[in-house]
Amino acid sequence: MAAIAAERYTGASIKRSEDPRILTGAGRYVDDIKLPGMLHAAFVRSPVAHARVLSVDVSAARTLPGVVAVFTGAELEEMTVPGPDALMALMGWAGPTPEFTLLATDKVRFSGDPVAVVVAESRYLAEDGCELVEVEYEELPPVTNASFALDPGSPPLFANLGDNIARLHSRHEFGDVSATFADADRVTDFRIDVHRHQNMPMEGRGCVASYDTDSGAMTVYAATQSVHVSKIAVAMRLGMGQDKVRVLAGDIGGSFGLKIGASREELAVAAASRALGQPVKWVEDRGENLTTSGQAREESFDVRAAVSDDGDLLGLDVKTVIDTGSYPGMGAMVPDIIEAMFPGPYKIAALGFESTAVTTNKACYVAYRGPWASETFVRERILDLIAKDLGLDPLEIRLRNVAPRTDPPAVMITGRPLVGVTTRESLERIAQLVDFPAFRCRQAEARAQGRYLGIGVATFIEAAPGPREPEGSSGPMGNESMRLRLEEDGIVVLFTGQMPHGQSHQTTLAQIAADEFGVPFEQVRVVVGDTDVVPFGLTGGSRSATMTGGVALHGARQLKAKVVDVASHLMEASASDLEIADGQVFVRGDPASAIGVGEVARRAASGQFGDGLDAQLEVEAVFDGGEGGWSGGSHCAIVEVDAETGVVTVERYVIAEDCGALINPSVVEGQIRGGVAQGIGAVLLERSAYDEDGNCQSATLMDYLVPTACDIPRIEIEHLETVPLDADVNFRGVGEGGMIVAPPTVVNAIEDALSPFGVRIYEQHLSPARILELVAAADPGQ
Amino acid sequence: MKLPPVDYEAPESVPEAVELLAEYQDEASVLAGGQSLIPLLALRLTHPAVLIDINGIDELSGVSAADGWVAIGAMTREYVAEESGTVADAVPLLAAALPLIGHEAIRSRGTVGGSLAHADPAAELPAVARALDAEFVVCGPSGERVIPAAEWFEGFLTTSRRPDELLTEVRFPAAGRGTGVSFQEVARRHGDFAIVGLAASLTLSGGAISDARLAFAGLSDVPVRAGDAEDLLVGERPSAELFDEAALRAAGDIDPPADLHGSSDYRKKVAAALMRRGLRAAADHADERR
Amino acid sequence: MVDITLSVNGVPREGSPEARKTLADFLRDDLDLTGTHLGCEHGVCGACTVIVDGRAVRSCLMLAVQAAGSEVTTIEGLAPDGGLGPLQQAMWDSHSFQCGFCTPGMVMQAAAFLSGHPDADESQIREALSGNICRCTGYQSIIDGVLLAAKRNRER
Repeated sequence: MAAIAAERYTGASIKRSEDPRILTGAGRYVDDIKLPGMLHAAFVRSPVAHARVLSVDVSAARTLPGVVAVFTGAELEEMTVPGPDALMALMGWAGPTPEFTLLATDKVRFSGDPVAVVVAESRYLAEDGCELVEVEYEELPPVTNASFALDPGSPPLFANLGDNIARLHSRHEFGDVSATFADADRVTDFRIDVHRHQNMPMEGRGCVASYDTDSGAMTVYAATQSVHVSKIAVAMRLGMGQDKVRVLAGDIGGSFGLKIGASREELAVAAASRALGQPVKWVEDRGENLTTSGQAREESFDVRAAVSDDGDLLGLDVKTVIDTGSYPGMGAMVPDIIEAMFPGPYKIAALGFESTAVTTNKACYVAYRGPWASETFVRERILDLIAKDLGLDPLEIRLRNVAPRTDPPAVMITGRPLVGVTTRESLERIAQLVDFPAFRCRQAEARAQGRYLGIGVATFIEAAPGPREPEGSSGPMGNESMRLRLEEDGIVVLFTGQMPHGQSHQTTLAQIAADEFGVPFEQVRVVVGDTDVVPFGLTGGSRSATMTGGVALHGARQLKAKVVDVASHLMEASASDLEIADGQVFVRGDPASAIGVGEVARRAASGQFGDGLDAQLEVEAVFDGGEGGWSGGSHCAIVEVDAETGVVTVERYVIAEDCGALINPSVVEGQIRGGVAQGIGAVLLERSAYDEDGNCQSATLMDYLVPTACDIPRIEIEHLETVPLDADVNFRGVGEGGMIVAPPTVVNAIEDALSPFGVRIYEQHLSPARILELVAAADPGQ
Repeated sequence: MKLPPVDYEAPESVPEAVELLAEYQDEASVLAGGQSLIPLLALRLTHPAVLIDINGIDELSGVSAADGWVAIGAMTREYVAEESGTVADAVPLLAAALPLIGHEAIRSRGTVGGSLAHADPAAELPAVARALDAEFVVCGPSGERVIPAAEWFEGFLTTSRRPDELLTEVRFPAAGRGTGVSFQEVARRHGDFAIVGLAASLTLSGGAISDARLAFAGLSDVPVRAGDAEDLLVGERPSAELFDEAALRAAGDIDPPADLHGSSDYRKKVAAALMRRGLRAAADHADERR
Repeated sequence: MVDITLSVNGVPREGSPEARKTLADFLRDDLDLTGTHLGCEHGVCGACTVIVDGRAVRSCLMLAVQAAGSEVTTIEGLAPDGGLGPLQQAMWDSHSFQCGFCTPGMVMQAAAFLSGHPDADESQIREALSGNICRCTGYQSIIDGVLLAAKRNRER
């Protein structure tokens, strides 16, 4: 008999188990759900940015054939329990909480603010009903930018706040800021603006809420990054016990931070279902998604840099204002992460950080893939600007300022140790992968012919999940749980609170468990998306590779130990002599002794072992992240700018990255490339735009432009040999990195291309028209 | 984003369609390819009482050449025109513009007549029609009339077609030997509407420009004929300096709109750049087609 | 309501949709073929792409009644017996997709393009798919899947 071989899945690009259904149209997204008696909702939305609501007349809508019900904001208040935003409550937000109703009642605060919900037999009829609802508005002056919001004279969006400050100004200092600045050779001021853009997943928000009048139970089919967080949100708002709410999720068409908790619309739909005793579906259309689901990144930075004449970045003093839009989301919380991450992988000795967040009459600020990303943009932009002032090369200035990898590790001035960070190696690898001197020759030749090529570099780290915290982890981003069970058919089932929306968890977690436990990949099943059976969890923050990969590894190990223990009784062998490989338990060196793990499970379930043995082949594993760690890398872009039209082409994009041990290289590379594409999109194409009256001007995909296959080049990725920190779990997350570092990489390249004109860039969005403006301003002769 | 309630008619002949249009007038929208109309309906930007679907009128499709003109039936799909050898040979400017219209799936359904009747000033075909002085054949209750391109485009999404008339055919003059063309476009992405587009046709005779036809997309609420630039070019020999001067004239002549994708000043600069590039390319092409 | 009959994935189907109902909604709601997705409903994203009478079209920009008498192929019918055809297999092998929402439209567009251009190179494939938006992948893995399918086809 042939020796039983153990396969090694971890580290290989195992084909995804998700794909057979995805590729044949058998995926099950929220809009695919059909339930008996299901109705459809559509929302009446404000056409103006800021107004008092004087009256809402739904009488005509109610009589339209096919319309089953119309609920106004006032009626929904009667049907629900007022409370804070669930995500903010979960994250322990202690700041000012604006008071507002589920749907707008007395006032609307952004163009698209929902005022009433129409429930009908079809979405077509629901939209027809919406057109019949008459709302009288008394317009108020719109607050459409942060500087007006900061003005105490601006009309407050929320009466109970009294002004438009979402988060009070605060200042923190790390290190000796005043001394660092006093002693520096030079101090330079920069003002850098990041523009508003947004997640734009291919599938919008939506849910089917189904209330069972008999049992008093609510089932919500959701598109979400966490079924448990959605459940909490629904239960809280509807005043229901947690045990009466079940949230289910199937396939999810992307999210990038958008679909966390439950939106006001989803809560209204749940309330409607309860009132009607019938399932109600709402799936937002693209117009709603672009104008009302939320937007991100509108942040401004006044930065003072203390620099030595040799190019040492000694200190930074940063003032940031964040435009959080109307209703509360993540905006008021993001300054803390920006502050913590600002030093990056560098030796910066002092940091001053002030922030204020304001409310404006625009869509609310939501988490978008690396919500704190502006810290990398600002820092990597400033390094290039400083390098230019000092006549230094962009690689050179970064290598000069990178914190060396020491033992004990260097510590960011904001407190986190830079353990295992390979920034230096990634920069050096970029210099090997891209022939800079040859490029400079080509660049010079091209310039002589009136063509403008440029090269840009940027580097980043992200806490994916971050190094081990001395005080231990806490909060929703803390420990990760998983339940693992060996079934009688030999399948190892993993129950995880992760909610994949493109991350391929059903494949990657199975790879890890299969290897650790000893079954073929096909013999592992990953169960997600049911609050009745999965533990608490949330997919986000680039933490799942470590946290969930780690709990899968340790949990599989624990489960294996249990199975081996049971098998040792079955096989009358010592547990230490047993192995599991290829789904068989056998005595080491004796393949003929093998029995299938399913057989072990069946025998354990039969009760033959009596009470003395724990024959429950199930474990509840918890993982605290082990040593954790950073992900990071350096990116390099070569671009060409057409100086007559402003059109930018990204010619080449190269990455040297470190995400620790790779579970599945193709999955890792796909995540990185997708993030880079969004970063390129942010710079060249994507802008959530408002006019001075607060009307959203990017309300269709003809105006909110996302990159296509003609806009993103082949992205070359090299994985660095990582610094292992943990005995077992060295996978680190990559979900957000691409999106964090691609914008400065591309902007740095564009500035380099335009350097003959003397252009300096202090913003992130560079449409062709803007590029010509920058050229004209720097070089009026053009 | 669902379409509003609307009645539906599917005439099977031109007279039937005209009868319906006469009945409904501007309460009706003609449904051809639907690639422009259906989005407007989905966004509920328009609420016609009835859609008159002319996809069933077979006689409205086809490409034929006669007497120095190429006649294209209004319902001819853009992809059919794109694949037509007749169009490639005889209306090279149209052949150059067609692949830039949206994406292949759009051109599977979109029609030449539909695009021209919709008359989006940022679209490619209106600029081509204006440059070539195409002729628009409409059929109404009192019979047929032929409208030259200069009179067809009246304003933003507005043509001189009367509400009771149906566009049945568009005729393009056949390009002779020595005529070269170029369609230049700056769009935010491949397949998007032009921020600025230029349809250019030059005829060289004895080394000099005997005919110049230049029309811009995206500079106004209708396609804009660059008449001053054309006047400058006729009779002259092609040269970089000549083309620079033509570009200056063209840019100086226009007052483009500003929107999310470009300021007025930006469009002027791009118009000048496209003029230089388009003239050079058309002249080279004319040389090849001697 | 307009009575229509059409062939969908080789099977005669019928329905009585309102004239205003799009082909996309008719496929999804009336025929329970939810593989075709709605990404924008205004003809830009390509997620709704199906094949009608041999041509890739955006089903959100066609009325169901306009498909009367036509042959429509959706993602469910691309491969025999709901298995994986060569293009789908190549995309599986190439890790082409992540969240899967753009996938049906992307696959149908690629299938239509490849059948007319079996020897297309990378830049032609990119251009052919430039009307299909994907938010997850950055496109490279999708292009690789199409190239692999074309290569295998040539070798067959």
